[in-house]
Amino acid sequence: MSDVVVEAESKPGLMQQERRRSIIRTLTGNGALIALIVLVVFLLIVAPAFRSPTSLLLIGLEASFIGIVSAGQTFVILTSGIDLSVEAIVAFSGVVAAILISGSNQSGGQVAFGMPSYLAIPIAIIIGTLIGLLQGVIITAFNINPFIVTLGFLSILTGTALVVTQGSPIFIKNDPLIDFLGGFVSLGSLKIPIPLLIMLLLYFAIWVILRHTKLGRYVYAIGGNETAARLSGINVNLTKVIVYGISGLFASISGMLILGRLQGGSYNYGSGYTLLSVAAVVIGGTALTGGTGGIWGTLIGALIIRIVQAGLVYLDFPSNAQQIVTGVIIVLAVGLDVARRGEVRWLNQLFRRQP
Amino acid sequence: MQANTVQTNESAPSPAQVSSQRDGPILEMRNIVKRFPGVLALEDVNFDVRRGEVHALIGENGAGKSTLMKILSGVYTRDGGEIIFKGQPVHFSNPRQAQDAGITTIYQELNLIPQLSVTENIFLGSELERGPLLDWAEMHNQSRKLLARLHLKIDPRVRVGTLGVAQQQMVEVAKALHHQSDLIIMDEPTSALSLNEINDLFTIIQQLKSEGVSVIYISHHLEETFVVSDRITVLRDGRHVATRATRELNIDSLISLMVGRQLSEKFPKEVTARGPEVLRVEGLTQGDRLIDISFSAYAGEVLGIAGLVGAGRTELVRAIFGADPIDRGAIYVNGQRVSIRSPRDAIRHGIGLLTEDRKQQGLVLKLTTRDNITLAVLRNLTSGPMTNGRKEASVAQRYIQNLSIKTSGLHQMVMDLSGGNQQKVVLSKWLATEPRVLIFDEPTRGIDVGAKVEIYRLMNQLAKQGVAILMISSELPEILGMSDRIMVISQGRVAGFLDRNEATQEKIMQYAANVETNQSGNGNNS
Repeated sequence: MSDVVVEAESKPGLMQQERRRSIIRTLTGNGALIALIVLVVFLLIVAPAFRSPTSLLLIGLEASFIGIVSAGQTFVILTSGIDLSVEAIVAFSGVVAAILISGSNQSGGQVAFGMPSYLAIPIAIIIGTLIGLLQGVIITAFNINPFIVTLGFLSILTGTALVVTQGSPIFIKNDPLIDFLGGFVSLGSLKIPIPLLIMLLLYFAIWVILRHTKLGRYVYAIGGNETAARLSGINVNLTKVIVYGISGLFASISGMLILGRLQGGSYNYGSGYTLLSVAAVVIGGTALTGGTGGIWGTLIGALIIRIVQAGLVYLDFPSNAQQIVTGVIIVLAVGLDVARRGEVRWLNQLFRRQP
Repeated sequence: MQANTVQTNESAPSPAQVSSQRDGPILEMRNIVKRFPGVLALEDVNFDVRRGEVHALIGENGAGKSTLMKILSGVYTRDGGEIIFKGQPVHFSNPRQAQDAGITTIYQELNLIPQLSVTENIFLGSELERGPLLDWAEMHNQSRKLLARLHLKIDPRVRVGTLGVAQQQMVEVAKALHHQSDLIIMDEPTSALSLNEINDLFTIIQQLKSEGVSVIYISHHLEETFVVSDRITVLRDGRHVATRATRELNIDSLISLMVGRQLSEKFPKEVTARGPEVLRVEGLTQGDRLIDISFSAYAGEVLGIAGLVGAGRTELVRAIFGADPIDRGAIYVNGQRVSIRSPRDAIRHGIGLLTEDRKQQGLVLKLTTRDNITLAVLRNLTSGPMTNGRKEASVAQRYIQNLSIKTSGLHQMVMDLSGGNQQKVVLSKWLATEPRVLIFDEPTRGIDVGAKVEIYRLMNQLAKQGVAILMISSELPEILGMSDRIMVISQGRVAGFLDRNEATQEKIMQYAANVETNQSGNGNNS
């Protein structure tokens, strides 16, 4: 990351000034990170029960299901698209795996496919990815707004899962692979939940893709200026298809982890994840218009959401009202973010020096 | 020349006010300072405008003209200095305040809503009501009167989007009159206008003058300022350089004030010996926009593409570049027939296109300088599946140095660069693809004189390296100055070819307007 030789006309020391200024900007610009730290500190003070590594790891575990979905959503939003179908892909993939292993709930008797889980799970993930790719193809081939296509699939997939399961979860008994997915890895005295581990690995992988591969660069270019990207020779349609495929992939991975957790698949496992994943992305600093933002912000967003939920539960906040709190957080987060970027004029005027 | 009548609606002006009004400056900007992070955009700038005066504001890109005007119109807040308008000190914190005070800006990009009618646009934000409902009859009536004042034959009920650019600009002027503006700022008003339309605009400006309205006229077309302005102010590097009466200046002295040096030649054309044919287009047809176009382009040659706005020049190059589909036609690169269905194909065959509009089509503003430069060649700058930062940096750095791009570093967002430097970034992107054919669509639009010369010199270099250059330009001097051959497009067809030594502005215009059908050579003339 070498810096270029600055033109002789510039004032000396300007580069130093700029570098210092940009560091400050990054630190203060990451309001989400600061909010997270504040929240964690607050929680630790107010709720002594959370002061153990195990509890914190459990919070990480809880955050990982939504976190993984949010990671895929980040990709999509960066291209200035959106994937509303994610919660349905989560549920659908879980149902597919459950059926393959245990059979369906359809009247006429339980038909147990009896497929081993090490086959069923990859198949379910592949199906989830294919669904994502299909959505991408429809969006690009017919030039339809992603909002509409993914909204449609949200309904289609949830409905299909509902029909096939007849509304009841399909449970899986005693499968070692599934138990593993819902289990832990021991590191010394710490028990690190597998989903948390997988989430961190996936986030790291996405970071590498976004920063260090052509796909990542093209994603930012398309989100920033799709016309310029296309005229620069980027295959915009292919990139978009891949991006929706990734979203489907991640949603179905999350579905498999939920399978491990709840030992079954149901049409409503993952309900609410669509809105939460978009919220996590936005809280983390990625603009809905795409082109700017990053993956770690999404992680912070997912953690913030989860920690707030954990805190509310601890404080015996009525569970029905938790949605209200989540909604308030989203609005606040977006508002703060926009204000920080200097896009709220009247705020700027308030803090400006009066000549 | 200037209208020095004191027309004031203030009651009982103080002696100080009267004496300052007697000289008639409707606007005085004194010691204006403006800072942005890392740069001092305006340093102690003084600028004044008299009543009924047309005052041209000239300067290179980055000189500070836009910044000064944005401070005046309330878009920016100044960091120092004072503004006195109609005798009163003013401080505008938003454009509405400036407009209410009597200052209107007509931007290059136009601030009209295409889906609404002329009347709706004129009355935007100041709609008339009768009780709880909008009074359309009265609004249309007043619009008609405004348009008549400007001698415009436009039906105010028509949707603005259906009007041509020139007429849309007139609607903006009508809007300014509706707000009873005493001062109108025109930012690059002629960049999209034809010669006739420019003359119409000048007539309107004279009309405004006769009504006592002052105009601040910003333009890169220096010749225009000599026709239309009374005084010229030159800014350079954020400082005020000079304010003179227009008749005391000529183009050369103006340019030397702008850049601080004499530009010995405006078009430093170096003719290169023509090489083999690099590109051949045969029978290109696209709907009724492009009809049976055939021509050839040769290594080392600059083929100028001239024609009226709307003749189909941009459509032609977009079709060659694969950005739009074609109905019929064949394209040959280096003698081989190629199929170009997308920009990717074009790039693969060595064709590059610098579009008209760099911000909308050429750059990803939120990405860095490095990212924009490497955007089209990223697949070559990888090690394995990952992009190689060092390779990218060396490519980007090479062009930053060779093209003298003024940037604070590889990682500065291009949105912060000036117009000329942004254009250089786009050019770098295409140079990095090592093209055989490079198409320039209005390469120096909205760029200051100094940067223009640099781009012409780059064209010379490219030609020497054997690149075939196609250049669309609406500036006839540029076409005549830089082309080896000129192809004139008219109404979707090739109207004719002209060689460098036989071409004149008149001949080009004749072909363009289809007035005379001379012997039109084929594309392979020498």
